[in-house]
Amino acid sequence: MKQALIIALFAAFTALLPLFIGEENPYIIGIMISVLMMAALSSAWNIIGGFAGQFSFGHAAYFGAGAYTTLILIYSFELNPLIGAAAGMVVAALIALITGSIVFGLRGHYFALASIAVAEIIRLSVLNFEFTGGAQGILLANVTLWGLDLNSKTPFYYGMLLLLVVTLTVTEYLRKSKTGYYLQAIREDQDAASSLGINLALYKNRALLISALLTSVAGSLYALYIRFIDTSAVLDLRLSIEIILTAIIGGVGTLWGPVLGALLLVPLAEALRSNMIGDALVKLGLVSETSSVGIFLNDNLAHAHVLVYGIITVLCILYLPKGILGLFRRVK
Amino acid sequence: MLFLQALVSGILSGGVYALAGIGMSLVFGVMNISNFAHGDLMMLGMYLAYFAFTLLHIDPYLALLLIIPVSFLFGFILEKVFIHRVIDHPHQNQILLTIGLGLIMSNTALLAFTSDPKILTTTYSSSAINTASGLSISVPLLLSFVITSVITAVLYLFLAKSSTGMALRATSQNREAAQLMGINVAKMSAIAFGIGTALAATAGALIAPTYYIHPLAGHSFLLKSFTICVLGGLGSVVGAGVGGIIIGVVESMAATYISTDWKDVVVFVLFLTVLLFRPQGLFGKKGGQ
Repeated sequence: MKQALIIALFAAFTALLPLFIGEENPYIIGIMISVLMMAALSSAWNIIGGFAGQFSFGHAAYFGAGAYTTLILIYSFELNPLIGAAAGMVVAALIALITGSIVFGLRGHYFALASIAVAEIIRLSVLNFEFTGGAQGILLANVTLWGLDLNSKTPFYYGMLLLLVVTLTVTEYLRKSKTGYYLQAIREDQDAASSLGINLALYKNRALLISALLTSVAGSLYALYIRFIDTSAVLDLRLSIEIILTAIIGGVGTLWGPVLGALLLVPLAEALRSNMIGDALVKLGLVSETSSVGIFLNDNLAHAHVLVYGIITVLCILYLPKGILGLFRRVK
Repeated sequence: MLFLQALVSGILSGGVYALAGIGMSLVFGVMNISNFAHGDLMMLGMYLAYFAFTLLHIDPYLALLLIIPVSFLFGFILEKVFIHRVIDHPHQNQILLTIGLGLIMSNTALLAFTSDPKILTTTYSSSAINTASGLSISVPLLLSFVITSVITAVLYLFLAKSSTGMALRATSQNREAAQLMGINVAKMSAIAFGIGTALAATAGALIAPTYYIHPLAGHSFLLKSFTICVLGGLGSVVGAGVGGIIIGVVESMAATYISTDWKDVVVFVLFLTVLLFRPQGLFGKKGGQ
């Protein structure tokens, strides 16, 4: 009950934020949409990765399933975006069930490896097929839904927020349900869980399915928001790793860890990408813009955000394996 | 004829895959760690060969005499500084740590060497031997296959006969028991990771004359190495050797009879098929772990 109240307060607060920032700041709203999306993605991943302890390294496949199915149906058949999103969920569910049925009988390293293999098969197939736009991707001029203008950012801000709130609510509900207890039992000790009569494959599949459906909705929203997708944007292994990393940094297996992780990582990546850090060093007079160091920073820092992700991952695993929220809970 | 050509090319390129796969399998066997930085270590080997060639004017195959000890040392240090700290952690932490290290390596390479692909052109890079029966055998592929075979044989003898090799195998079979028998398992882990790194870098150097050298070139080899390990049975060195040849042939056949675009897909489908029907691999002993 307490958590439900906090989720409601969080939703109300976040829903009011754009009123203070205003439409004249589309850049800030854009970053906030990215934060909400990564928080939703990472929370959805947390259901299978955090609570069931099955680390999926291929969640980009579900995101891409939502994104590609939605845009292909609009582009080729001019269907309503909602039908596209629903179809995306069906595709994601199929991928999840196929992956699950292959690997959930196995343990340890296998699920991680197989999830990557499935995601790579999908990425390469999308790249090689023609109806998916191949290497060029799909570009959509504009999208309308019931006369609503989908060119502004505001509907997507609230769409992503709604998805995040739903994901958090589902997570909290699951955590307190029988399924949630079974999942945590599986995470802690598979053999013990199995010997108590818990059907391992059934519950793992259930968790993966829920996680995949939520991830595919995020993919659909993203595709409608950006209106351009290609395999490197929505199906890349890098995206899967970013989703995991966000959860790890905030705290795997906690309700708010992924949200915290997204709040930290997305603005950091944005600051690196737009070279804010290099500019700040110049403005502070620490580095001269025309010096060789300044030119190097200017040319390269924008590409360095993945390097920073790598360094954060290593430091986090070595010194903070339970994430930032893990610091505050000694007894689990 | 087409079939024979695809078979020969497959076996020859499979030799290099086998080397990469053996390196990963050894690390997996001794340390029980899936090394996700393996592909990036291969990429470093490619760049080492490239710079040995352009700066020091050493032939990439001769440069192996330099690359092998340097990369062994690099792997040994990597294990001592980072990997050994997660050896008792859950496997997902190990995977994430090696992914992080891989990201650091590939993106440092991206910053240092830019994303422009480099090409290492030796005098024999595109030369081929044409047999009387019409087969065309690429000289660099043939050379690398011969070198691979020699290295594999030496490694096999080392593991089978030397006392360090036996200690490595004992650690691989049962870490606790090996420790009780007085084997320094921490040292064995570092040696195994060093050998794994050296094999990855060697494989990278061997393909350098026939591939685009690029900071992200290792990624496709990472998944291929995993496929080889699973096919041969995780931890089985002989299995990985045979697995490498099989993957080389499957890939070459897929490229010949389906299309080059789909050859990686065929390899991954094979990977899932093995997981589904024979998860212990073709030569694995332990099932389902």
